[in-house]
Amino acid sequence: MSDDTPEKESTKAQVINPPRTLQGKVEKGGPGAVDLEALARAESVIANLADDYLDWVKEDLVRLEAAYDHLQKGSDDVKADLDVIFQIAHDMKGQGGSFGYDLMTAVGDHLCRLVEKMEKAGPREVMMVRVHIDAMRVIITKGLKGDGGNEGRQLLMGLTLVGGKV
Amino acid sequence: MSDYNLSRLNFLIVDDNKHMRALVKSILHALGVKNVLEASDGADAFKELRHFPADVIICDWNMAPLDGLDFVRMVRTGSDSPNPFVPIIMLTGHTEMNRVMEARDCGVHEFLAKPISAKKLYSRIRSIIENPRSFVRAGMYFGPDRRRKTLANYNGPERRKDEMEDAGGSTEGAELSQDEINALLNG
Repeated sequence: MSDDTPEKESTKAQVINPPRTLQGKVEKGGPGAVDLEALARAESVIANLADDYLDWVKEDLVRLEAAYDHLQKGSDDVKADLDVIFQIAHDMKGQGGSFGYDLMTAVGDHLCRLVEKMEKAGPREVMMVRVHIDAMRVIITKGLKGDGGNEGRQLLMGLTLVGGKV
Repeated sequence: MSDYNLSRLNFLIVDDNKHMRALVKSILHALGVKNVLEASDGADAFKELRHFPADVIICDWNMAPLDGLDFVRMVRTGSDSPNPFVPIIMLTGHTEMNRVMEARDCGVHEFLAKPISAKKLYSRIRSIIENPRSFVRAGMYFGPDRRRKTLANYNGPERRKDEMEDAGGSTEGAELSQDEINALLNG
């Protein structure tokens, strides 16, 4: 291959060293520096938000139910409906684990993977979305934290089977 | 352990989910950060940047109308960008390999997988402090140098590129753990 190919041309990079403004504003050590105590405090701040999380996730479930209803009634823009469901499930996936609800993160991920594969929303697809929403409800109602133990594992196994049928 | 004092740094959090913004803000405050500004999407954040001298931006991917990648591109290459060099941490639930590479190629400094913890967020901030990156303009790319480890006189094969090509489409959608993401980005 000749050196004059576009690919070779693009490797002639211009390197710029930006001003280190940030480094100039940060000191190491001393009062106020992040230490193990500060990290523990920050983790406990998250733990203290766990009650708020339960309110947030209930709001997400309400939004998810509304999106599901729209899908179930036969929408003229299935793609848009599935996208709304994806976005909500994606938010739920992103938050659950921070508050100890790792199973919610896993189920949220399953629902995202499911709807991104869907190209239509017939009765079978709608039922598949339904069982994921029901699983999320079970997690919150029963307070299934962590991986949810045996119940959680069975639940995930069931959803994996459902997801494989798309 | 005694680490960095973050109290003088300005953070901009960009996320369309107010709960996520509240979570990140709470963590930052607990780590001693005093100045945090929030924005609910990329367009809003770009406006804020005109008068808020952010030292670090923590940015979600999925937002409308301007998503995280669009926002990063605007910051890096927009002719009216107030600070094309500002460090950006992409905070997202998208952890598939192709997504991580897409964010990197768009010009983010760090990639933080949701769900987050205080420890994980601080480790990304510390990485930005300890590893200031040169910027590179090459072809269509402008952003932090994507090769974090420079080997003098390296003439060998482009291993990572080759590995990505060898992997082809079979692994590009595979979910990665935060450790795998770090390994991928750090070479």
